[in-house]
Parts: sequence; structure tokens; C-alpha cells
Amino acid sequence: MAFNDSDAALAAKAEQRMAQALATSTVERDDYVDTQPGEPLTNRDINRMAVRSLALQASFNYERMQAGGWLYTLIPALRKIHKNPEDLSNSMKMHLEFINVHPFDVTFLSGLVLAMEQNKEKISTIRAVKVALMGPLGGIGDAMFWLTWLPICAGIGASLALEGSLFGPIVFLLLFNALHFGLRFGLAHYGYRAGLGAISALKSSTKKISHAASIVGMTVIGALVASYVRLSTPLEIHAGQATIALQEGVLDKLMPNLLPLAFTLIVYGLMKKGYSPVKLIGLTVLIGLVGKFFGLL
Amino acid sequence: MLVDALFIALLAGLAGVDLFDGLTHFHRPVVLGPLVGLILGDVYTGLLVGGTLELVWMGMVPLAGAQPPNVVIGSVIGTAFAILTKADPKVAVGVAVPFSIAVQGCITILFTVFSPMMHRCDKMVKQGNWRGVELVNYLGMGILFCFYFIVAFLPIYFGADAAGAMVKAAPQWVLDGLSVAGGMMPAIGFALLMKIMLNKNYVAYFILGFVAVTYLKLPILAIALGALAIAMIDFFNGNRAQPQPAATRDAEVQDGI
Repeated sequence: MAFNDSDAALAAKAEQRMAQALATSTVERDDYVDTQPGEPLTNRDINRMAVRSLALQASFNYERMQAGGWLYTLIPALRKIHKNPEDLSNSMKMHLEFINVHPFDVTFLSGLVLAMEQNKEKISTIRAVKVALMGPLGGIGDAMFWLTWLPICAGIGASLALEGSLFGPIVFLLLFNALHFGLRFGLAHYGYRAGLGAISALKSSTKKISHAASIVGMTVIGALVASYVRLSTPLEIHAGQATIALQEGVLDKLMPNLLPLAFTLIVYGLMKKGYSPVKLIGLTVLIGLVGKFFGLL
Repeated sequence: MLVDALFIALLAGLAGVDLFDGLTHFHRPVVLGPLVGLILGDVYTGLLVGGTLELVWMGMVPLAGAQPPNVVIGSVIGTAFAILTKADPKVAVGVAVPFSIAVQGCITILFTVFSPMMHRCDKMVKQGNWRGVELVNYLGMGILFCFYFIVAFLPIYFGADAAGAMVKAAPQWVLDGLSVAGGMMPAIGFALLMKIMLNKNYVAYFILGFVAVTYLKLPILAIALGALAIAMIDFFNGNRAQPQPAATRDAEVQDGI
């Protein structure tokens, strides 16, 4: 996972990605035959690329990850840029090498790469940029979408749906996709316009954006744990004549949502020890069944 | 039932493609639940099950590319089960999860056997055959669609009666136990997110969010906006505190002397 890693770990990962890319390479020459800058791409071309980027994982596989879908994203623009058939073939060979980029911010990279292709940069330069950006884009994409935006939208959508309101799914889809498509098209144009200058901007802001997203994400997750993890006990304590309900009389007085918090932290601890989610799901079902059977839960 | 099962299978096929390609996220439980409910004539239950499953799957996302239990099949089977057997939405969680784990395994196999296709693509690009590469991508999506169609159709068409009979036969404590487990299940997704994100810098924000609900009873949107405010303060203050360019710093030192 890219976003909490040290610089050394990031460098090691980048090196590994470069090795993977080269291992799957069939490229034979490093420069294009026709070195005149290609026909500039129009807004329509960039939009078309952004739409096609939705199919990034269409031919996903464990050897090259998203290589097939990545090439699919670029094909119309590459055909416009490379009029020489040998150049087109060479360029496509390079774009069929191993690539693993985040499906939500991929268009930043594809826009940037198209700017370089249009400029007829060397194959190895373009490859180096691809490899260098996979990690940072993956980190930002995970932080913004999986860790922050999806939990927020899903939390709001689910809370409405649980009240039986049709606005749940509608609000969820509108909220989520407003940011999703805004970024997809915005980044495509930004990447193409800004060209190589965008790289340093991205690298310097990777950590800051991830950090800001983590603040929002972590706060929302704390809120979601309190709202939606459900765990309580029907046990009663008999003290002489009096009967005290353990949940209302003791635990809730101590702190409401104490048991859900404790359970979440235990699961978190086990996960850090290497327990897989599947194992923990099984464990949870077991706890539910045993707890109910003995009347503890 | 055949028509219903076919419609649900069609929905699952489209949603299964959306999970990897399209990403509009209509494949999430909160959307699929009511849609399956619409097909089976009970949108209200669909919403409740969808909302419940959404919480369970909130953290089960492909973080750093790892495949989580399959959300599409979980949503479709879980919702159909709850509506057809009139079981508690939380019991549906216990039923949905085993299917989603099995499908997760199948998807991994699918991604493995698709690797040789890339060598076909190598030959195609050598000849400049870009149309072939496009067809391989359409083929990939087509295979995904068919896979989900079948995997959703079979258990719903053949399993609905059996599931109904099982629910009738199961002792009450089993159903209640599954319901309790369903209520606890969202913790796993949240813990997954915490495993990636949580370090000592962010514990404070977790506490803040927890307290905002437990004691202040604020809605999620309010908390998210409050957190956004904090993140913005942090972001822009960080900009200001950045080290100044070396030249100005040297000048200041000299001034000091």
C-alpha cells in the first residue's frame, strides 16, 4: 500500500514495477521513425479517451494487470498521433507492458502520456513516467475513493435506505459519481495540458492530499463504527434483591457503544496480526451463534 | 420465478461488469438491493437489506488491488434471499457472505486464466492490429457478464425453495445468532479501512468521529463536513509552514548577524 510507505520502500516498489514492465516488453526500438510532433488532440479526443478509461480493467489479468484496458483507452488517440504504421505498432507494444494504476485517477496519467506521445518522446522516457506515477496515483486513488469518498457516500446512502427512503440509492449514486466523473474528465484534460510539468506538482502534493483525505476518512469511520456496528448483551446482574441489566445499567453508563467499539478494535488488532477478512467473517458468525445459544448476546 | 430469476441474473451481469469497468457504483448493495426488490415486488425490504449489506461491504473494496469478497453476488443473493424467505435483513448478511467469498475465488481464477490472452495481444500489436486488442477487451467484459449471469441465476432459480425450507427448519437461536453476527459484521469492513489508514497521527480523528455520534448524535454528513473543515485548516496551514526558499533564509540569517 503506497500511502503510508517510507521513501525507501516507495523507491524499491518503483524499481520492482519497472522490472515487471521490462519483463513483459516486446519493444524493439527506443525512438519513433517519424519524430515530427503528431497532430494535436482536440477536447473531443481527450473526452473519448476519458470515456474509454472506464474499461481500464476489461482484460484484467495477473500477468500484466490492466495493460489491455490501458491500451484500449489510448488506441484512438495513438492512431491519430502515429501515422507511421511502424511507430503505431511500437507505441502499442510499450503500452501493452505491465501496468497497475488506480482506476479512479488513471486519466491523469493517460492524459500526460498522450501529451508525450504527441511530442514523440522516446519510448523509454514515456515508460519511465508511467512506472514512476503508478505508485503515487495508486496511493491518492485509494485514499480519496476507497478510504474516504465511498465510506461517506455509502454511509449517507445506507442511513437513508435503512429508513426505507428511495433517496438512499439516488443520493448515493449522484454524490459518488459527481466526484468520480468530475475527476475522470478533469484529470484527463489537466494531464494532457500540463504535460510533464504536472509530475512535480503531483509528487509534491501526493502526501498532502492523502493526509487530508485520511483526516476526513478516519473521522467518518469513527462515526460509522459508532452508528452501525451493533452489539449488546441481554445479561442481567443479580445483586441481592435488585436486578441490574448489564447493558443499560452498567455498560451504557460507562460509555454508550462500548461493545461495538471494543469489537471493532479487537477485529482491527487481529487483522494487524495477519488474520484474513474471510477468517474474521467466519469468527464473527461463530461468536453470533455461540453467543445467542448461551444467551450472552 | 423463471422470469424473475432471469431479470435478476441480467442485473447481476451488468453490475458485475460495473464492478470492474464503468465504476458508476450501481453495483453497490444500497442500489442493487432496491433494484432486486423492484424485480421481486418488494422495494421496501430491498432498501433495508441493501442498506444493511452496504455497511458490511463499506470497507471491502479492492485496496491496493486485492480482491475482497464479491459485493455484487452478495447483494443480489442476500436481497433475494431476504425477500423470498421473509427473513430478517441481518440474517441475509450471513447467507450472502459465503456466496460472495466463493465468487471472489472464481474471479481470481478468471484473472489467472486470462493471462495467456496478453500473448495473443502481443502478436496483434506487432502487426498493428489495434482492432484485435479492442475485441480482446470486449471479450473480457463479455466473459464477466456471462459469469455473473450464471452465478446469480442458478442459486436464485434452483435455491429459492430450498432456502425457504431451510429457514423454516432452522432453530430460532440460529437465525437470531446470524442476525447478531450480521449486526457485528460492519466492524470487519471498518477494521480493514483502519488497517490501511490508522496510525498514531489519525487516532485523534477516529475518536472525534466516534464521540460525535455516540454523545452528540450528529448525522454522518455533518461529521464529514466538520472533518473536511479540519482537513482544510490542516492543508492550508501546512502550505504556510513549508520551509522558505534557501535564499530568503540566508538573507534573514545575515540580517540577524
